[in-house]
Amino acid sequence: MSELTTAHFLFLSAALFIIGMVGVLTRRNVLIIFMCVELMLNAVNVTFIGFAWEQNALTGQIFALFVIAVAAAEAVIGLGIVMALSRRLDTVDIDEVRQLRE
Amino acid sequence: MDWEALIVSYLLGFVLLNILLVLMAYMTWFERRLVAFFQDRIGPNRTGPFGLLQPIADGVKLISKEDIVPANADRLIFLVAPLLSFVLAPLGALVVPFGDSITLFGRQIDLYVIDINVAALYFLAVGSMGVYGIILGGYASGNRYSLLGALRSTAQVISYELVLGLSLVGIFILTGSLSLVEILRAQQRTLILGGLELPNWFILSQPLAFVLFLIAAVAETNRAPFDLPEAETELIAGYFTEYSGFRFSFYFLAEYINMIVVSLIAATLFLGGIDGPFIDGVWWLVAKAFIFLFFYVWLRATLPRFRYDQLMGLAWKVLLPLALINIGVTGLVRLWGIGAL
Amino acid sequence: MAIEVLIFYLLAGVAIAAAAGVVLARNPVHSAVSLVLSFINVAAIYVVLRAEFLAVAQIIVYTGAIIVLVLFVLMLVQQQDLPEFHGGRPLRRAVGFLLGLALLAEVAAAILTRSLRGAPGSWTPEAVAAVGGNIQAIGRELYSAYMLPIQATALLLLAATIGALFLARPELIEERLAVARRLFTISLAHPRGVDTLQPVAELPAPQDGQLKPAGGDRSLVMARTAEEFTEQPAWGESRR
Repeated sequence: MSELTTAHFLFLSAALFIIGMVGVLTRRNVLIIFMCVELMLNAVNVTFIGFAWEQNALTGQIFALFVIAVAAAEAVIGLGIVMALSRRLDTVDIDEVRQLRE
Repeated sequence: MDWEALIVSYLLGFVLLNILLVLMAYMTWFERRLVAFFQDRIGPNRTGPFGLLQPIADGVKLISKEDIVPANADRLIFLVAPLLSFVLAPLGALVVPFGDSITLFGRQIDLYVIDINVAALYFLAVGSMGVYGIILGGYASGNRYSLLGALRSTAQVISYELVLGLSLVGIFILTGSLSLVEILRAQQRTLILGGLELPNWFILSQPLAFVLFLIAAVAETNRAPFDLPEAETELIAGYFTEYSGFRFSFYFLAEYINMIVVSLIAATLFLGGIDGPFIDGVWWLVAKAFIFLFFYVWLRATLPRFRYDQLMGLAWKVLLPLALINIGVTGLVRLWGIGAL
Repeated sequence: MAIEVLIFYLLAGVAIAAAAGVVLARNPVHSAVSLVLSFINVAAIYVVLRAEFLAVAQIIVYTGAIIVLVLFVLMLVQQQDLPEFHGGRPLRRAVGFLLGLALLAEVAAAILTRSLRGAPGSWTPEAVAAVGGNIQAIGRELYSAYMLPIQATALLLLAATIGALFLARPELIEERLAVARRLFTISLAHPRGVDTLQPVAELPAPQDGQLKPAGGDRSLVMARTAEEFTEQPAWGESRR
């Protein structure tokens, strides 16, 4: 514990990912679920960059860059869907969205 | 761990912050006097000689006002939002090089606080964080007109931030680095322009980028003629309607510090920073930044403000395509220059 | 390097606490602000990991654009208070929390007994400094070996932009599609060869400086009573 090893970063990444996962499973507000998904993506980025640091390779950093770009695209579309949904159903509670279930 | 270098950096940062704060206060005096001069009147000249104590009087007045927090307001964010704006504003100045190295107490000190190899992107990052002061301030006021003003202002800032970043890409192509110290060194070479030997200032090799940067910088800092979200005739005062006393002064002064930092960065990136005819020095940087500050006040005194849709249309339909064309042309010229075309 | 470990613990601690704040906050705006704090700390950790470009890219893209977008949507959509996390479904909360703990235990076991190592790459800190820094090194890698992913990402972002436009203003796309359909359709059964679709009602374009067209297509109406006046069609509607 006196040197920074990859295990430190992997634990950080795991903690962030699990907190995000618990958020997605537990919260009902669609926008908070969305933010927890972004948290999970960020945790994965930490893993990639941690491994890139360990191996002295840049592949991890480049992959993390692409993850950021894809997360931006996904954010745009996801929030557009949330807005369209809220316009139709007048709510952001994800328990109210059960059109496909019935 | 190089503790000495860290302490030297902290001291330099401290000195820089104090200078920025004093400069910001006197920027308000300068603006009021200059706008008055444009409008054929005098401006503050009673408090102290030439009105030089006016900023201090303003500060005392604002501090002594009652601190009102609206009942509907989200208390925590109401307190944090103006602080966020004010704290993020001077951070951009940390990467500006103020001079070559000097030797003090037998130690070589470089006259910049930090030099990271992504310095220009760092400046853009701090600018994009500044949006939060606006949007959180508008939200926390609990007033839907403040919220509307904040949303408009945020949309304006993020649109022009894009133009700001893209206009700098031409300089990055020509220099091959994002570090401001490197860009400064690149500008100290000579440029042969039709028989004239000129310093390689990027205003000469990237004039379009310079114009785009100026326009985007004025819009980024919410200054006239792009100050619709905070104009007095629109939505009362936009996102800082509900702020009074010292909290208001945080926003107000953050705007001036932003102006000063952007002027310093523009002077470093386009006008060669500390480069000057006789002797390189920080005074040349100050003089060049002063030109930009004068230009800011001049714009405010002269131009009417843009309507919101005109403002957004300008960013997305005119400035963004021009910035992309600039990048394309710069890239092609550079490839041709190194013989790779 | 004990100081690095201390810095890491500080940054990681705040990042994890802020992430917990995202999940636990009652007000979604507080969640968003917590998320911003978490992202900034993670960006600082990227700097510790010698990925400076990723750090500023994270701040510019993630905190400076994506979370601002989330805040926008929050302001525009969040009109009522939800009976949220603290208001019900304790079974769901308990199950979520237990699943989280279970996963944490598994992942911790996996990390501590890790024996797989990747193949060492060639970008040692000296090699990175030799090409001029992290961003130059990334540039070299990206534009030589990863050209196809760059083009694919560009296509993806274009698709996202068009999708966002459609989600925000579907009637705009419908209008344009109807115009295109009229223009490019040949009807085989029709003698003139053109579909007789109703023309899409074009809103008159506002002249510069004015918000409404001068005069437009509304005739001057003399109303004799207040009711007659209020029954006029709104701007853009045609008189039926």
